[in-house]
Amino acid sequence: MPLELVNSKVVKSTLAPGQNVLARKGAMLYYTGDVHFIPHSMGGAASGMPSMGGVAGMAGRMMSGEHVAMMAAEGQGEVFYGHAGLYVEVIHLDGSSMLTVEADRLLVHDGYLQSSIVALTSQGGVRGAVRGAMTGQGLFTTQLTGQGSVAVLSHGGAIPLQVGPQHPQVVVDPQAYVCHIGNISVDISANVGWRDAVGRGSGEAIQLKMTGTGTVWVQASEQKF
Amino acid sequence: MAQLTTNGHRVLVANLTGDSLRAISGSMVAYEGDVAFKNAGMGGGGLRAALKQKVTGESLSLMEVSGKGIVYFAVDAQDITIVELANDSMHVEASQLLALTGQIKTEVKFSGLRGASSGQGLFTTIVSGTGSVALLSAGGPLIALAVDPQYPLVVDPDAFVAHRGSLNQSFVTDVTWRSAIGGGSGEAFSLRFDGQGVVYIQPEER
Repeated sequence: MPLELVNSKVVKSTLAPGQNVLARKGAMLYYTGDVHFIPHSMGGAASGMPSMGGVAGMAGRMMSGEHVAMMAAEGQGEVFYGHAGLYVEVIHLDGSSMLTVEADRLLVHDGYLQSSIVALTSQGGVRGAVRGAMTGQGLFTTQLTGQGSVAVLSHGGAIPLQVGPQHPQVVVDPQAYVCHIGNISVDISANVGWRDAVGRGSGEAIQLKMTGTGTVWVQASEQKF
Repeated sequence: MAQLTTNGHRVLVANLTGDSLRAISGSMVAYEGDVAFKNAGMGGGGLRAALKQKVTGESLSLMEVSGKGIVYFAVDAQDITIVELANDSMHVEASQLLALTGQIKTEVKFSGLRGASSGQGLFTTIVSGTGSVALLSAGGPLIALAVDPQYPLVVDPDAFVAHRGSLNQSFVTDVTWRSAIGGGSGEAFSLRFDGQGVVYIQPEER
């Protein structure tokens, strides 16, 4: 069952036997029916790090900072999720494209979506790694593929911006970036001039450039959590 | 003139067609098109304004955004209200100002003793001219309160955002022996407005 928004901050998932839903640990608000929660370790063999399963994978996750603990809900009933009063956005994946999101912004997703942790270096080479380090996003990111729905967290709500033929390039502040879907390549642009060096910059020195086709979500705040 | 709209309640959208606007430094969350960002200091006024800023501590760090494209602004998930000015002026708390378009000037003015005790500085910012002003309000949408000569208004200084019209602002203290020994109600200082105009407040105290 797809995830449904109850209001702007709470999301409902309907569980049927044989299905499970993965959520951020501790994000359950309440449930009805016969539901069990079991700890879940995030994606094993990732496309970017094929050799890292098991203990090595765990170490990798801890090093990368992409180690938000997840839990799986199983059984039959309705489960309601929310976290820290943050706004929730539900995004439906139709199977044709991939959602890239940071682990700490992930609230809930359907269990049958494939999730993997990808090193930015495998996407954009050294530039990707530099981007992660400079923007504080870390060197790893979470990717979800398949058919299903995902709930992502944002401070103040997120607005979708189209990237495509009519909008060839969308530039996003790294702190306000939430997630993106589709065939988008992300490039860091450091627009640092001498003004920034002497503290007279406009405060917009480091930016993420999005090109390709897809949608990028931007939150109404520059707070990370 | 740059067109201002909102997307939802918390994101300001500016449509630039080769012109420019000023916004709080670092408030851009996304843009598309060919847009340049440059520090604008106090938003014009040159050295004198810069000096004034140093002395007054009313910090208003603006950037000038120019070019062709769409720019999105947001600050800390605060709600945004767009106010149109037509050869008019408005007093704004500097921390609640997001963006200015067109021929709007900013000026820092001594606002009396109210700031000293409420901890907001002794100076407020006056915006005047013709154009649009985007205001921020924390905790929910901005609340506009009408003031009539028969109905003066008293507001908490921590919730005050802006006022316009011909208003007289005075400072009300309610300091008694209770508040001196720590038994006060927490509302010892208030702002009183008399005259004809509109006062904007936010639903959260700073």
